[in-house]
Amino acid sequence: MRKLEEVLNDWEAVIGLEVHAELTTLRTKMFCGCKLEFGAEPNTHTCPVCLGLPGALPVPNRAAIEGIVLAGLATNCDIEKHSMFYRKNYMYPDMAKNFQTTQGPVAFCMRGWLDLDVDGPAARERHGLDALEPGQAEGNVTRTEEGYTAHVGITRIHMEEDAGKMVHVGGGEGRIAGATHSLVDYNRAGTPLIELVTEPDLRTPEEARLFMQKLRQIYLALGISNCSMEEGSLRCDGNVSLRRRGSSALGVKTELKNMNSFKNLHDGLAYEICRQAEVLEEGGQIYQETRHWDPTAKRTIVMRVKETADDYRLFPEPDLAPYDLSDEFVEAVRAKLPELPDQKAARYATEHGLSAYDARHLVDHRATADFFDACMALAAAEGDGSRFAKPLANLIINDVTAYMNAHEGFDLAESPLTPERAMELVRLVASDAVSSKQAKEVFAAVLAEDKSPEAIVAERGMEQVSDTGAIEAVVDEVMAANPDKVEQYRGGKTGLLGFFVGQCMKAMRGQGNPKVINELLAAKLDA
Amino acid sequence: MAQQPFGAMSAAQIQAGLKAKEFSAAEVARGALDRIAVADEPVHSFLEVTEELALEAAARVDDALVAGTFDELGPLAGVPVGFKDNMNLVGTRTTCSSRMLADYASPYTATCVQRCLDAGALPMGKLNMDEFAFGSSTETSAFGPTRNPWDLGRVPGGSSGGSAAAVAAGLVPVTLGSDTGGSIRQPASFCGVVGIKPTYGLVSRYGVVAFGSSLDQVGPFSRTVADAALAMNAIAGRDPLDCTSQPNDVDFAAALDEGAQGMRVGIVPEFLEAPGLTPEVRERIEEVAAKLEAEGATLVDVHLPNAKAAMSAYYVLGPCEAFSNLARFDSVRYGYCDSGHKDLNAQYEASRATGFGEEARRRIMLGSYLLSAGVYERYYYPAQQVRTLITQDYARAFEQVDCILAPVSPRTAFEFGEIGDPTEMYLSDMFTISINIAGNGGMSVPVGIGRDTGLPIGAQLVAPAFQDRAMMRLAAAIERLYGEAPVAPGFADGKAGE
Repeated sequence: MRKLEEVLNDWEAVIGLEVHAELTTLRTKMFCGCKLEFGAEPNTHTCPVCLGLPGALPVPNRAAIEGIVLAGLATNCDIEKHSMFYRKNYMYPDMAKNFQTTQGPVAFCMRGWLDLDVDGPAARERHGLDALEPGQAEGNVTRTEEGYTAHVGITRIHMEEDAGKMVHVGGGEGRIAGATHSLVDYNRAGTPLIELVTEPDLRTPEEARLFMQKLRQIYLALGISNCSMEEGSLRCDGNVSLRRRGSSALGVKTELKNMNSFKNLHDGLAYEICRQAEVLEEGGQIYQETRHWDPTAKRTIVMRVKETADDYRLFPEPDLAPYDLSDEFVEAVRAKLPELPDQKAARYATEHGLSAYDARHLVDHRATADFFDACMALAAAEGDGSRFAKPLANLIINDVTAYMNAHEGFDLAESPLTPERAMELVRLVASDAVSSKQAKEVFAAVLAEDKSPEAIVAERGMEQVSDTGAIEAVVDEVMAANPDKVEQYRGGKTGLLGFFVGQCMKAMRGQGNPKVINELLAAKLDA
Repeated sequence: MAQQPFGAMSAAQIQAGLKAKEFSAAEVARGALDRIAVADEPVHSFLEVTEELALEAAARVDDALVAGTFDELGPLAGVPVGFKDNMNLVGTRTTCSSRMLADYASPYTATCVQRCLDAGALPMGKLNMDEFAFGSSTETSAFGPTRNPWDLGRVPGGSSGGSAAAVAAGLVPVTLGSDTGGSIRQPASFCGVVGIKPTYGLVSRYGVVAFGSSLDQVGPFSRTVADAALAMNAIAGRDPLDCTSQPNDVDFAAALDEGAQGMRVGIVPEFLEAPGLTPEVRERIEEVAAKLEAEGATLVDVHLPNAKAAMSAYYVLGPCEAFSNLARFDSVRYGYCDSGHKDLNAQYEASRATGFGEEARRRIMLGSYLLSAGVYERYYYPAQQVRTLITQDYARAFEQVDCILAPVSPRTAFEFGEIGDPTEMYLSDMFTISINIAGNGGMSVPVGIGRDTGLPIGAQLVAPAFQDRAMMRLAAAIERLYGEAPVAPGFADGKAGE
């Protein structure tokens, strides 16, 4: 199979996502009073309603309606004042009533959008950007300095109930194939679920990944879901088809499932695009089917062939009256909207003078944004304003994020790196008391030993030497020890400067101020 | 003291006797149980008799009588009550007269049943019905039909045939049934008892196995309008577990003595001219109208131009909702299971093919077809439009009248097997169905014996939405004209169907 980058030269991928989020932060289920709790003993949070027992009736959870309206407002959707629940009829044991209560043609939230900022190497996967100047737009894409912004339409967000969970026993790895029997846990049945459907506006796996990431940030900021892809409270299916560059007709799409991490979403789509290209290039045909991404085998496999569209016999749920949202309700929900990641990033740029890139990466995680806010509040209290915003942003985006990525479950808010210690570290660097290289060591020690940066610097005798006299002596020593290199440098091999800096640093056991060393060396070598 | 035929007494008489210490609640329960054991043999109205529950409830009533707190018990204190077998009651099976649920025991109790228990009722057992309430004769019960106490060769009507027959045979004074297209009013008419289908939303449906969720409504049977009012007082009102239920602050027993005077009573000429309406029923309804006019009511012709489409709309909407409501009976967690198949679909198919009877399968397949892509648009949507038009027809009619008087059924009770064609059977409900479509309250009140058939005839009264008290007031006036419903002659004076 060819590489994604090559494939995308010849083919345009058309991608749409369906994102399910469980409203895990609610106390109770969608249509009954059962408790929402992940990981409880199977079938302990059930009642006649969520077990679909004969005679049971649903009663809607108003807090769940508030949750979906929040999601809609945060994703620029129109809120439909008048909508209805429908029954989606299909037989499967995880759905005790054998119909799912969902919404019909009119969902609570319709016609929204999100803008995605794409930069880095993945930005090159979008074609036709070269012809655009920054600020210039074509289709749903606007060129930016670092890459581009893609405007992604959201068709709708509707409310529905989750199914129970099936566990297949006797086969391999819980698979249905080879299983001797199946168990059903209805604790999850009736969990309020919001399903967001995008327009087919995405063109690369990276865009899909970024969309999902951005949506997750928003849902987390709204506090409506814990958005755990691992526990399945945030799930994503992708629809993907290919068409020749320049063609506007849509190809046959496949639906991808089991992309339960950002990486799997990206890799699954990338694989599927390359697979479809290979089939098409060999004169084959794409079938409308559901495929399962197997991250271990790194390929997608057919789950189900859809010969005809499923007929779910959708009709209005007669046990639930049409839902009328009042203007007062919608406005009351709007008043509860927190600062959203995009708004936060914009504020970082205007208030603290950060670049759009830095601001965006700070808000990638709610934890890092909250941390940054706490640090800036300290700085303001001490009269430093935004002076340290940039170095602080660097510390968070580089060191803190790397640490978070390397340590699963790391909780920044509860860690030894308090905002006070972070600001102390930033100030030590700014005053040249420690080098940026030493700062990395101090950062690691703060987290490992739970001590303040100043204490670590004192203990380890790490104070940076910026004294010109001391450094000049070392510089002279190093030049004297390497007359041949001095000769070469003066003969034009100026790249040797790094060698001299390294030798000086080595002689000073890393405590020399690199800035002063650089200046003195340059002056003496160029003399 | 000699045992009294408690089931043949009215609820009001039983309560008076209890308060006067003429007998105890335990004697009432025991007497009714003994009577059921003997007299229900030929009728087959009960599918399950709850002796233990009845005696327990009676003990509580007797305790209250000793403690002097009887009046606090509620409107049905000490009254034997039976429940249609689509109503959940912990400690009983809820079979819906289906093989599918022959052994199904609900872990919770329906709100309407619980409210009867909370009102002091003595639960006597569960009553036969058409399977899942699909039928007008109780012949589709998987456990054999119920017989009409007035003529054991005839059907009691349906689907709440057991509920009507138990009252007509004097086994219990009050039962509950459910009505989706006429399932309370038509058997009440056939068996010569009072039967009320309240306005949709007046009584909670929680715990009553659903047939057509937007049409189903629970209501009482009794031999007197006053007893029906007691039952209505017990069961009506908002239930947080049924979000379609509405609050009620009406005392249904209060206005019964006000009489017909001053009431504007609507007559629907289209109904009285309907083909298939037998002369004895038509003439009796006209006679009732004339008598009410003589009592001081004003007769007003009202028109329901779209009511003729009610049958068509009903046989779209009903099966669609039934198809979906009955999907849960899949043999997996409970209910009839034909096991040993290679895959799940095969088990589904085999279990449902055997577990459901013919009429249930017919409605499920009809609903499945009507909801399928391409068909839905041609049937379901127009049916909903018809529903709106019929609802508007009734709303307009009730701008002119306080109550509508109409036939319940085009004819009196028919013989077993007499109607074999399902579509002909569906016509039994031609005068009742439009009221479920519109959601209004409707009831059947006995108006004597037909001159041609010698069988009971019922008059149907229809009320504006949530004005059910208006039809009950008129029903009480009619009851004074025609007399309280008697126990069927073959079951009077201790007889058991002779």
